[in-house]
Amino acid sequence: MSNGLIDFVLVSVALLAIGIYGLAVKRNAIRMLFGVEMVVNSANLNLVAFSRYIPNSQGQTLALFSIAIAAAEVAVGLALVIVAYRMYKNIDIADFRSLKG
Amino acid sequence: MIDFTSTPIILTLLLGSVGVLIPVISVARKEKGSSLYGGIALGALLVAIGFVIYQIITKHVSPAAIFSQNVLVDDKFGSFFAIAMLIVGIMTTVGSFNYMRGRSNPAVYYSLILLSSIGMVLIAYSTDLVMLFIAWELMSIPTYVLAGFSKKDPSSNEAALKYFLFGALSSGIIIYGISIAYGITGSTNIEQVIDGFSKLGPDMMPLAILAVGMFIAGFGFKIGLVPFHMWLPDAYEGAPPTIAALLAAGTKKAGFAAALRVIIMGAIALNLNWAFALAVIAIVTMTVGNLAAIRQKNLTRMLAYSSIGQAGYILIGMSVAPFSQLGLQASLFHILNHAVMKAAAFIAVAGIISTLAVSHIEKIKGLGKRMPITSLGLVISLLALAGVPPLNGFWSKLMLFGAAINSGTAVSWGPYLAVAGVLNSALSLAYYGWIIRKMYFEEGESDKRVKEPKSIIAVMIFSIIFIVGIGVYPDPAIEFAKSAVPVLSSLGSIH
Repeated sequence: MSNGLIDFVLVSVALLAIGIYGLAVKRNAIRMLFGVEMVVNSANLNLVAFSRYIPNSQGQTLALFSIAIAAAEVAVGLALVIVAYRMYKNIDIADFRSLKG
Repeated sequence: MIDFTSTPIILTLLLGSVGVLIPVISVARKEKGSSLYGGIALGALLVAIGFVIYQIITKHVSPAAIFSQNVLVDDKFGSFFAIAMLIVGIMTTVGSFNYMRGRSNPAVYYSLILLSSIGMVLIAYSTDLVMLFIAWELMSIPTYVLAGFSKKDPSSNEAALKYFLFGALSSGIIIYGISIAYGITGSTNIEQVIDGFSKLGPDMMPLAILAVGMFIAGFGFKIGLVPFHMWLPDAYEGAPPTIAALLAAGTKKAGFAAALRVIIMGAIALNLNWAFALAVIAIVTMTVGNLAAIRQKNLTRMLAYSSIGQAGYILIGMSVAPFSQLGLQASLFHILNHAVMKAAAFIAVAGIISTLAVSHIEKIKGLGKRMPITSLGLVISLLALAGVPPLNGFWSKLMLFGAAINSGTAVSWGPYLAVAGVLNSALSLAYYGWIIRKMYFEEGESDKRVKEPKSIIAVMIFSIIFIVGIGVYPDPAIEFAKSAVPVLSSLGSIH
C-alpha cells in the first residue's frame, strides 16, 4: 500500500513548489492569492494522505479545520484586493509604491 | 476532557463573547460614538488580565510545562505570555480611543482587537499543533483587517495587502511543516511529535529537519527574522499606528511563544547543531534591523526596523538555551519588557500623528515643549529599548548578554553573541538619541503647547511607571519569568 503514499507526497510537493513560484514571480494580487491557496492545499493533501496511511483521523481533522480557515483567510484577502482596486484601478502589487525606504 | 475552569477556556469564552457582542450592540444602537465600544473592550481585557493574575496567585495554574495530553495546558508559561499580550491589548485599546474618534466602524475595530487577543493568548497555552495553528490564524486574520482599517488611505491598504500575502504564505508554510511532522510521527500532539522526532532513524532525519525548518520560516515571518523580514517595515508604517503597536508588541511576541514551544523543543529532540544556526540568525537579524533603522526618516518605519533588531536580541537567549539556565529566562523577560516598551513607543507616535499629523523626523523638532508628556513617554521607552541602566530594558539585556557569556564554557561562539549584542545596542542608541535630540534640543517652528489626548497620556503614564518600576525593582518580574520557563532538563528523559 505504501507505494501509493509517495505519489500523493510527490503531487503535494509539486503543488507547494508551484504555489511558491507563483508567489515569487507573479505581481498580480489575485494570482498571488492563488499561490497562497496552492501552498495551503498542498499541505491539506499531505495531511489527508498521511492520515489514510498512518492510520488515524487527526490529519483529516486538521485538514478540515485548515480548509475552513483558508476560506476565511481568502475572504479577507479578496476584500483587501477589492479595496485596493477601488483606489488604484489596478491590482498589480508592483504599482503600489506609497511605502518606501 | 475540557475543564471549564481552566484559564484559557474562560479567557476564550469571556473575550470571545464580548468581542462578538460589540458589533451586535452597534447594530442595535442608533447613535454614533466610539467611546462606548472602546470602554466595553477595555473592561473585558481588564477582567481577563485580572482573572489570569488571580489564577496565578491562587495557584490554580500548574508550573511551567511544555507538554500535555490535552490541546490546551493551563501553565505558568502560557500565563506569562497571556499577561504580556493582554497588557499590549489594553494599551492598544486605550491608545485607540483618541485615534478612532470620528472614524467609521469603531465597534468592529475594538471587536477585532479582542478576537486577535484571544488568538495570541491561546497560542501561548496550546500544546497541540492543531490548536496552535487555529490560534495562529485567529490571531492573524483580524490583524490583516486592522492593518487596512483606514480604507481611504492608500498606504494603509498597501500595508494590509503586503502583510496579508506574507502572512498567508507563512501560515501555509506552517501547516506544511505540521503535515510533515504529522506524517513522520503520526500525531499532532507536540509531546508525541517531539518524542517521535527523538526516536527517528537516520533515513527519516532530513524530513524532520525540513519540518523544523518550515516552522522556523513560518514563525520567522511573524517574528521578523532577517531573511523573512521584508514585509515588516511596510506593514508597520502603513498600518494605523495604534495597530502597528499591536503588531510589533503583540503578534510578534505570540510568534515567539509558538517558536519556544515548537522550534526549541523540536530542535533539542533532533539533537542538531541548531543552536549555532539560531545564533547566526540572531546576529544577522539585529545587525540588519539596527543598520536599516539608522537611515530612516519616518518615526514608525524607524521603530519597525528597531523591532527587527529587538527580535535578534530575544533570539540570543533562545540560541544559548541548552548551554545556560539563564537563556530562556532572559528571553522571556525581554519579551515582556519589549512588549511594553514597543507598544508605548508606537502609541506615543500615534498620539503625535493624531494631534499634529506628522511622523517625519524633521517635523518633530521642539516636540518636548509642545507635547511634554507624550515626549517624555517616548523618550523613556526609547531609552529602555536601547538598554539604558535604570530602565527595565537594561536588566533584560544584561541577562541576555550574561547568558551568552555563561554559555562560553560549553560553546566557543557564545561570548561573541554578547559582543555583537553590545555593539548593536550602542548602534541603536545612535538613532534613538537622534530622535531625542530632535525633540528636546532643537528649536521647532512654534513652542505653543498643544492639547494632548487624555487616553494617550494615560498609556504614557502607565508605561513610564511600568518601565521605571521594573527598572528600579526588577526582582518580581525576573522571578515570574524564571518560574515561567519550561524545564529543558525534562527533555533529557526522551533521549
